Amino acid sequence: MSKIVILGAGISGHVAASHLRRKLAKKHQVVVVSPNSNYQWIPSNIWVGIGKMKSEKIRFPLAPLYKKKGIEFKQAKAISFFPEGDKTEQKPYVLAEYVTEENKGKQEKVTYDYLINATGPKLNFEATEGLTPGKNKTYSVCTYTHADYAWEGLNTLIQEMKQGKKAKILIGTGHAKSTCQGAAFEYILNVEQELHKHHVRDMAEITWIANEHQLGDFGMDGMLLSYGSMTMKSNEMVEMIFEDRDIKWIIGAGVNKIEDGLAYYETLGGEYKTETYDFAMLIPAFAGHGFKAFDKNENDITEKLFKGFMIVDADYTPKPYEEWSVKDWPETYQNPNYKNIFAPGIAFAPPHAISKPRKSKNGTDISPSPPRTGMPSGITAKLVADNIIDSIKNGKDSLHHKGSLGNMGAACIASAGYGMMTGSGVSITTYPIVPDYEKYPKTQGRKLGKTFGEIGLAGHWLKLALHHAFIYKAKMRPFWWLIPE
Amino acid sequence: MTQRISKYQRFKMMNPIIQFFKFIYLSIKIMIIVAGGHGGTRKVD
Ligand SMILES: Cc1cc2nc3c(=O)[nH]c(=O)nc-3n(C[C@H](O)[C@H](O)[C@H](O)COP(=O)(O)OP(=O)(O)OC[C@H]3O[C@@H](n4cnc5c(N)ncnc54)[C@H](O)[C@@H]3O)c2cc1C
Repeated sequence: MSKIVILGAGISGHVAASHLRRKLAKKHQVVVVSPNSNYQWIPSNIWVGIGKMKSEKIRFPLAPLYKKKGIEFKQAKAISFFPEGDKTEQKPYVLAEYVTEENKGKQEKVTYDYLINATGPKLNFEATEGLTPGKNKTYSVCTYTHADYAWEGLNTLIQEMKQGKKAKILIGTGHAKSTCQGAAFEYILNVEQELHKHHVRDMAEITWIANEHQLGDFGMDGMLLSYGSMTMKSNEMVEMIFEDRDIKWIIGAGVNKIEDGLAYYETLGGEYKTETYDFAMLIPAFAGHGFKAFDKNENDITEKLFKGFMIVDADYTPKPYEEWSVKDWPETYQNPNYKNIFAPGIAFAPPHAISKPRKSKNGTDISPSPPRTGMPSGITAKLVADNIIDSIKNGKDSLHHKGSLGNMGAACIASAGYGMMTGSGVSITTYPIVPDYEKYPKTQGRKLGKTFGEIGLAGHWLKLALHHAFIYKAKMRPFWWLIPE
Repeated sequence: MTQRISKYQRFKMMNPIIQFFKFIYLSIKIMIIVAGGHGGTRKVD
């Protein structure tokens, strides 16, 4: 009998847990440890943040589903890792602390045979002074609670604009090293369209602020894509959309401090500037959770497991941008020091960024960290689960399933406005996610036919279809496993 | 404001009939790219 413990029940943790449970005999134990009682389909938070979807529609409680499916659920958060056990516990374990009312603060050694760390990112709001969701007129859409607040704030401003107030809206990244530009891009387009619907668009100045050196970088070093019969750069495509919608932009900007209605930022050119606003949605920096690890004698071995995020089979040798290769990126998400520990999704430490690193004239790093979107999070979680399943079934370690972001495609369907007949979406598909400049030297590291962009109503339908399909899949309804990650 | 998307382009982008076919086309194309497999990059098995 094997016991597999999964930390986190987000996209990657839940995908791993559901596949493990489906494919492994009941004698094997699948345990999920996660502090949130709900599963949430994060991509639809964009619509919660413009009041078009209630947050109840994007989440559901995990405990009843896990009970029904035979997955053990501990509503707790992992605190520290003991991959060799300790003086009194022979088996490797994770120290977890319960967060529910009745057990609050109670700690438990959760032993395992295999451990999947799928804890995603820590939303590091503290890295930017004054950036707290709901304070200083800044908001976030990174969780459903944040998105609910964002809609409250935006709705209040819309009502004021209806009374004649002129307003400034600022959307983008809230730190010089933030990632997830795609989510902010979706949100700015949705907000812009909502203002039209409320007949207050002409009362607002909308500005994009981001750490990208060029529009459309998205932390992916930009891309060359097919658009209709043309080949276009992603910066040209985003510029076209922003100009068409009268959205201004500030790029190469590292936001470093927020005061009430005032964002301080440094530019790549080395200038220190400010921007005023009445409503802002700024994506924070992402960080690891600050977990500690100890050996059986309780010596600190954190550096064997973590480098901010979890160390996996990537090549972490520091090297200049020109020497980066797709081969640096992990394939199995296995920790090299403890082979029964894996980290799919956002939880793994990337070898380096994808976008070219840039410094301001004052030496401040201002460039996006590498994004890891939902699709690769799901795919990497499934391949980790498949390798564990094979290892258990064959009785020996198996790593046949591989999936490097340098050999994997991803679709990013960015909502550009909600509405069955008036909605819009910008569908961008890239292959591979991490550019392979050796294979595709003339097309910015990506395969042209498979890297394409589309704008229009179909994109909105697609995003809505994905919302329903992935919630169906997450609820493990009949034949859920036929829906790909 | 600079009109960067022409009226005709906008018509095509928002016409439900054209977009219905685009929806089918995009769904299949995305499925092929994303579900079309993935693998390592370091050595060919
Ligand atoms: C607003 C927004 C919109 C997005 N839109 C898209 C999109 O359209 N398409 C797309 O592909 N991607 C999108 N993404 C990205 C996508 O949501 C992420 O790639 C995905 O959620 C990553 O999955 P994950 O499981 O690695 O991390 P998460 O989904 O963040 O899950 C982490 C889990 O770990 C749990 N956890 C945290 N700390 C602990 C702890 N100490 N112990 C145990 N558990 C813990 C959390 O509660 C959570 O359940 C979007 C992201 C945002 C923020």
